[in-house]
Amino acid sequence: MNHRALTGSDNYFEDFTPGMVVRHARGKTVEAAEHVLLTNLVMNTAHGHFNEHAMQGGLFGQRMAFGGYTASLVIGLASQDTAENAVEELGLDGIRFPTPVFAGDTLYAYTEVLETGAAGREDAGVVTFRHWGVNQDDKIVFEGRRRALIKRRPQSRP
Amino acid sequence: MSDFRERAVLWPKGRFFEDFEPGDRFEHHWGRTINEGDNALFTATTLHFNPRYFNAEYARAEGHPGVVACPMLVFAIVFGLSVEDLSESGGAFLGVEDLTFQRPVYPGETLTARSVVLERRPSSSRPELGIVSWRTEGFNQNAERVIEFTRTNLVGRRAAGEEK
Repeated sequence: MNHRALTGSDNYFEDFTPGMVVRHARGKTVEAAEHVLLTNLVMNTAHGHFNEHAMQGGLFGQRMAFGGYTASLVIGLASQDTAENAVEELGLDGIRFPTPVFAGDTLYAYTEVLETGAAGREDAGVVTFRHWGVNQDDKIVFEGRRRALIKRRPQSRP
Repeated sequence: MSDFRERAVLWPKGRFFEDFEPGDRFEHHWGRTINEGDNALFTATTLHFNPRYFNAEYARAEGHPGVVACPMLVFAIVFGLSVEDLSESGGAFLGVEDLTFQRPVYPGETLTARSVVLERRPSSSRPELGIVSWRTEGFNQNAERVIEFTRTNLVGRRAAGEEK
């Protein structure tokens, strides 16, 4: 297995410059079965995310997706471009959910590179990203900063 | 004998705004062993395309014993384990600050969670709700901390909650 061929060659540390903003290519429609399954998988017991009957009488008239799911999906939509060559995820900050997400919504992701810097190792650097998730109506459903240790481009041939 | 529904008393779940005093600590229930299936399902459905989370050969070449649990899954599980104690009474999840992933987690490892109340204040716009922040930590089976974050939620106030 040629390990270097398994990940992209255009998303190493050197490829990220502060100020660059990208729109990620793929969107994903939120399936009720999927957001409920992942909410249950992670032991989140708040039934506002999985009891459609109870939520019909609530503020939105339906189940709302768990924010941990929304954050994970938006970061996932941005991951091939910004995390495929990550050695380590370092942290998150300023996570907000300005608009609720429901089954049937389609989410897209955008990313801005905020900062790049050296790490305590030669073969990788730290990149701070700001990610946004938007729905089919272009409303922001997620925003937050993410710091990751990203591989530097290998110098020698594999 | 009356109908069981008339005799039934609600066995309630969750806590309310008034139950959180800054400094109060919670050791959350259950714990959760992350298994390979959890991680494969989570990374596939959230499209988290870094092969260290789903290609064991790649992960080993990168210095890991096998696939790494996706950090977003670790976050979601530690959060999930804290929900009954902290936020089940309803109210929106407002945000997360200062989250750090502190060590890798591998399938087969067991996570537990605990939290401390940082602050609470009434909501100016929604009198039936309050705003509470907690610092939550997640640990592996060796009591090594793997994640830490501050979460803020709207939380139901007791007077409003008792009508539910």
